[in-house]
Amino acid sequence: MVKAGPVTDRAPIDSPDSGVRPRMLLAFDQSAYLPILLIIMMAIAFAVGNIGVSLILGPRREGDVKSITYESGMNPLGTARKRFNVRFYILAMTFLVFDVEIIFLYPWAVSFAQIDPRSPDGSLFLGRVLFFLFTTVVAYVYAWKKGVFRFD
Amino acid sequence: MSEFLSSFLTGQLIVSVTVILVILHVNLIGVAYLILLERKLSAWIQDRVGPNRCGKWGLLQPLADGLKLLLKEDYKPKGADFFLFTLAPMLIIIPALIGWVVIPWGGVWDMPEITLPLVGTIAGGPVTVAGADVNVGVIFLIAVASLGVYGVTLGGWASNNKYSFFGGLRATAGMISYEIPLSASILAVLLLSGAVQPQRLIEQQVAGGWYVLSQPLAAILFFVCILAEANRAPFDNAEAEQELVGGYHTEYSSMRFGMFLLAEYAHLITSSAFLMLLFFGGYHLPLIPWLSPEATGIGAALLKVTVFFGKVLLTIAFMMLVRWTIPRVRWDQVMKLAWNALIPLSIALIVLTAVMVFMEWTAWWQMLAMNAVVLGVVFAIQPLLPKSDLQNRRVPMAGSRFSPLPGEVVRTGAMGAAKDESGVARGSRGVVSMS
Repeated sequence: MVKAGPVTDRAPIDSPDSGVRPRMLLAFDQSAYLPILLIIMMAIAFAVGNIGVSLILGPRREGDVKSITYESGMNPLGTARKRFNVRFYILAMTFLVFDVEIIFLYPWAVSFAQIDPRSPDGSLFLGRVLFFLFTTVVAYVYAWKKGVFRFD
Repeated sequence: MSEFLSSFLTGQLIVSVTVILVILHVNLIGVAYLILLERKLSAWIQDRVGPNRCGKWGLLQPLADGLKLLLKEDYKPKGADFFLFTLAPMLIIIPALIGWVVIPWGGVWDMPEITLPLVGTIAGGPVTVAGADVNVGVIFLIAVASLGVYGVTLGGWASNNKYSFFGGLRATAGMISYEIPLSASILAVLLLSGAVQPQRLIEQQVAGGWYVLSQPLAAILFFVCILAEANRAPFDNAEAEQELVGGYHTEYSSMRFGMFLLAEYAHLITSSAFLMLLFFGGYHLPLIPWLSPEATGIGAALLKVTVFFGKVLLTIAFMMLVRWTIPRVRWDQVMKLAWNALIPLSIALIVLTAVMVFMEWTAWWQMLAMNAVVLGVVFAIQPLLPKSDLQNRRVPMAGSRFSPLPGEVVRTGAMGAAKDESGVARGSRGVVSMS
């Protein structure tokens, strides 16, 4: 376990604390996460408790007409679980590409701000990510030409 | 026992738990009163009185609303998936309530050594007045914020209502689309800061100027995206009442509906605090020495919490004014704004920021000049971009008299309204443009 020291603005490139390795993944202190566990449990208790109390306190009156789903007063035709436009699938896949790409850039961004840009690592860091972004831009232009971003 | 406890109980943990217990309650009461504030603001904008029956100025209205929601029938429509139908409101309120835990409300407090009964002495030292002082604070916020989409999707799907289903689809597509420029604009800030620790972000803004000066475009992108993520107007197509009744919560009643309502406002608090943290210096205000990270007294910490909450409240009030001022944007325009404008802009911003960091031009005025150049270029090339000829046309409805099926004879009766002078059915242009 590597403990995080104070983060200096630009660590020297030859120090073990240099930003070449993604520091934010290495600097991991478990005891700081205990309060997060606490708040997650409190949030779950709040949600479950509130819904449970309203289930107990509220009245219960069933009825055939009452349980019909609301469709502006019309009798609903069939079920709502129908097939829907394929655009949503394509959109979700395109979203995955871009979101994963941005998440990959987070460790890079934090490290890049810490290393010395004049060192050989600096240009390497920039060049590789610019190429990575360029491939994404190619994919983006392709998707645009294919009409993925047409929503009319 | 006492050795075990004192090894486990650090000053940070005590402060964290205290902050969580206090701010969770402040948040929940604040959410209830934000609903009242929104109703009062909308009444003021629309020249009405607003709620004024419960208590003075309607101050007891949130209490009455909460009681009413608890005592109403928890109704479930026929054909709904009971498990998912109950799970969806929980899944939307839980992420909304845990996101703010990493926000450093009070900065660093130099805690004195304290002695507790049964536990013994707890060493003092600098502790962060935050729910949890984790190194990956910003990542945690993004991760939790993107969990909110599950509640919306499942709520729309489980209700077995077509309005809910369409609302859920729209909301899901909108939320995931705006997540990309959201995380990209945060990336533009992280490139400058080199830290994901919230406390470090604030310290660097105190030292080098707020990031809204260095990255104003990223701040605007971020603000637009948190509006869209929270499904707030002008991006609230998921619950456009004119077309979709209530959207994904059409079939919800009682406290299950209340969870959706609370989650929206809890989300507002979290995302406004996030905006303040990233771009507006968190608790920092210039020229007040107590609000700088060097001040570590208990009074300074309390003042910082107050200032932070004040800033958050101002942001939320601004969001409410936006909601009651700007009309709702059509859904396809919302999606086009995300994919054809915000995402290319945010990626260009990342590339340019990376180049600026590489050249070591990271002073705030240099970054501001870069942002101004980007804005100028955007406005310069915007008229040159290819325009879609399909904007604001009539949406063809196959088989209607405006868009007849191939070979179908259009019978317009005595009205003749469907034909223009050339005798061609008007909607036929719409049909042609479909192919």
